[in-house]
Amino acid sequence: MATSEVGATAEIVPQAGPRVRLSRGTVFLLVVLALAVLGIGLQAASDVTLFAQITLNGLSLAGLYFIVASGFTLIFGLMRVVNMAHGSFYMLGGIIAYLIQERMLNPDPTSFDLPQATLSSFLIPLIVSMFSVALLGVLIQQIFLRWNQGQELRQALITIALSIIIADQAVARFGGIAKEISVPVRKSIELPIVGMYGTMRLVMLLVAIVVGVILVLIISRTRFGMIVRAGVDDRQMVTALGVNIQKVFAGAFFLGAMLAGLAGVLGGAVNSVNKSDDGKFLLISLVIVIVGGMGSLPGAAVGAVLLGLIDSYSDVYLPDSVTNYGVLLTFFLLVFVLAIRPYGLFGRPA
Amino acid sequence: MKVRDKRWGWLSATLLIITIGIVAAACGGSDAETTAAETAAAETAAAETVAAETAAAVGEKKIVMGFLSNCEGPFGPFWDATLAGYYTALVQFAGATPVDPADPKAGVTGAMVPGTEIPIELNTNYCCSDDKADKALSEAKRLVEQEGVNILIGPLSGDEGIAVANYAKTQPDVTFLNGISGAQDTTLKVQAPNFFRFFTDGAQWTAGLGAYAYNVLGWRTAVTIGDDYSFPYTQTAGFVSEFCSLGGKIDERIWPALGETDYSSYIAKLPDNVDGFFLDVGGTGTVQFVNQYTEVNGDDSLQGKVMGGAFISNPAIIKELGSKVEGVVAGSALPSDATDANWTAYVDAITAAFPDQAGNAANIFLAGYYNNTEAAILGLEAVAGNIDDAAAYQTALAGVEISTGVGPVTVDGNRNAVGPNYVVQVSDTGTTTLFTVADVDQSFGGAFSTDTPNPDRDNPECVAGNPPPWAASIKK
Repeated sequence: MATSEVGATAEIVPQAGPRVRLSRGTVFLLVVLALAVLGIGLQAASDVTLFAQITLNGLSLAGLYFIVASGFTLIFGLMRVVNMAHGSFYMLGGIIAYLIQERMLNPDPTSFDLPQATLSSFLIPLIVSMFSVALLGVLIQQIFLRWNQGQELRQALITIALSIIIADQAVARFGGIAKEISVPVRKSIELPIVGMYGTMRLVMLLVAIVVGVILVLIISRTRFGMIVRAGVDDRQMVTALGVNIQKVFAGAFFLGAMLAGLAGVLGGAVNSVNKSDDGKFLLISLVIVIVGGMGSLPGAAVGAVLLGLIDSYSDVYLPDSVTNYGVLLTFFLLVFVLAIRPYGLFGRPA
Repeated sequence: MKVRDKRWGWLSATLLIITIGIVAAACGGSDAETTAAETAAAETAAAETVAAETAAAVGEKKIVMGFLSNCEGPFGPFWDATLAGYYTALVQFAGATPVDPADPKAGVTGAMVPGTEIPIELNTNYCCSDDKADKALSEAKRLVEQEGVNILIGPLSGDEGIAVANYAKTQPDVTFLNGISGAQDTTLKVQAPNFFRFFTDGAQWTAGLGAYAYNVLGWRTAVTIGDDYSFPYTQTAGFVSEFCSLGGKIDERIWPALGETDYSSYIAKLPDNVDGFFLDVGGTGTVQFVNQYTEVNGDDSLQGKVMGGAFISNPAIIKELGSKVEGVVAGSALPSDATDANWTAYVDAITAAFPDQAGNAANIFLAGYYNNTEAAILGLEAVAGNIDDAAAYQTALAGVEISTGVGPVTVDGNRNAVGPNYVVQVSDTGTTTLFTVADVDQSFGGAFSTDTPNPDRDNPECVAGNPPPWAASIKK
């Protein structure tokens, strides 16, 4: 067996690799990228603490982005459904947890001091909110998307409609002002080099890593994950092999929506619950998934880190008069990645 | 397979563009919010059309008053407050009746020009912007050119005000009264003869703040941080010009985009070696900024480190931030703790119309719309409801003196209010007034004129000398 393999290999005539030809545009983009890295490096050297702080800011923000985008990419990769209501799941996660926590803490309306959450009055809203959003995701999938299987544009339009309805209902019932979900941990802790740093941001980063590990385990070690992987590569073949793909679809939507709900609660605790977050996080998920490659978990992680760091560095290292345009850099990243890897960094043709 | 991939590329590109569009337009629409107002407005309009036909009107022109505010975007939360200010003035001065005292969105009926039987037709058909100048402009155009509004109250936000004031120049027969937009340029630079602002501008709301920082808190260096658009430019201009005139230095001016949600890196960027910073991150951003600041820095309160602009003393914001902003000193156009007759009468008027909104009396969003609507009504009274000659109505308006919560207010030659300003401290009862600066005009004691550069990211420059007249009296 081994011999034949060696023999087979030996017969292959080594071929010259395709010559890497870089277009002028790509060279230009690479030069811009190199200059940006150089610029950041020079500025970082002048204030290491600041650099460490904003890097950690970028990474913790990336954690939040990853939790949202991993659900999005999972649903997309398997079902080819661009779920345009994904941002609404994020927003609802925050709102539901805030409302439950408000009931639990029952703050005195005349009191000036804000209520302080205990572990249970943080975890219960978090868990209930996650599962409520997950169930809503499954309901949406079953009621609106299941009978439109294969009609990608139709499904996308249905989810856009749902997201607009959810946003309107949220502003009507929840109001527009930002609210904070109270957390049971100490506000900040002392870190080496970085100095004082917000505890919840670290928690957020940690949760993102745990979520990433669990997702990788699910995808690589479980039967569900195996079907998902197979489904990403060839959905028709999986169906033909007798797998009940509908169950897997529902499972994917459950998991994806649950992750968005979880991110909503964490985001609400770190950045406040804001009713305009739905559009923002949908856009972020789309960019991350396009940059990272549709349906790829490592892609979502790399995309999230890139986006988080760009967001964070541009706030600080761009000159004060142009920080407003930091968001444009996100789209430069998009153009750059698509120019050199049209399927995204980790993407493959379907 | 190739065809399918291509299709996916196109589909994802299309969806990305749609999403960007949705985010850019901040489409979180609030049809639900406007429905009640629309219904009420439609009913009111129907009733008033009949009245208009039968009433022996003095002039030929119907009086159609329009309203323009923000029901979405960063200032969407203040939609109710702006409606309450608008309708309270109509109830108090034009004899209107609230449809539902519990809900300003339900509107009012029966508004008439005081002393006459001439109805004021109210157009509250949508009237919603989102802090973006183009949206406010298209909505103002729709109200004026399609809905036939000839008196427009609004808009809410800085850039919107500049856009609408410029538009006003093309519509001399229509009279525009500002809502609560506070950019300086709106009146000082644009100078549309038919655009009035019966409320002070953003810079005027900081009168006394720079001197308090320098003379009382002993600050010598400061940093400013505010949203990147005309209103925070104006507020920062007020603080910078007063603080620098006394000898203070501004290390850096930081401008996050309006609508930013993660301020952590801007917070990391705030230097430690300055005495404090002037905070003018507004709307929903104030809550997020303060929460993130206190989390990262482990502080319980911003007291002593921050001087605030208009937002931090806003009752709706204080409610969300509680003790985190306790003790913070801020500039404010309104004194929430006043007990004098002017303030009591103003609060009573709100309570009589919309009891639930009484807590919003010190909310500038309510007060701005209240002042300007009152001026519009008193102007109508002065011309006995005849607006056939728009210029005559505008001349009358320029001479109107309105009664407000802070006493009588008039406008200057640029049609911008001259009024008092308050330096207040956030306390567990709302705000406590530390001192009052009387009669602040838009020139800010001579610092600003039509020849000075527009307030922007770098202007005004930080220059010592020529402090405003009130600065010397603000001492420890």
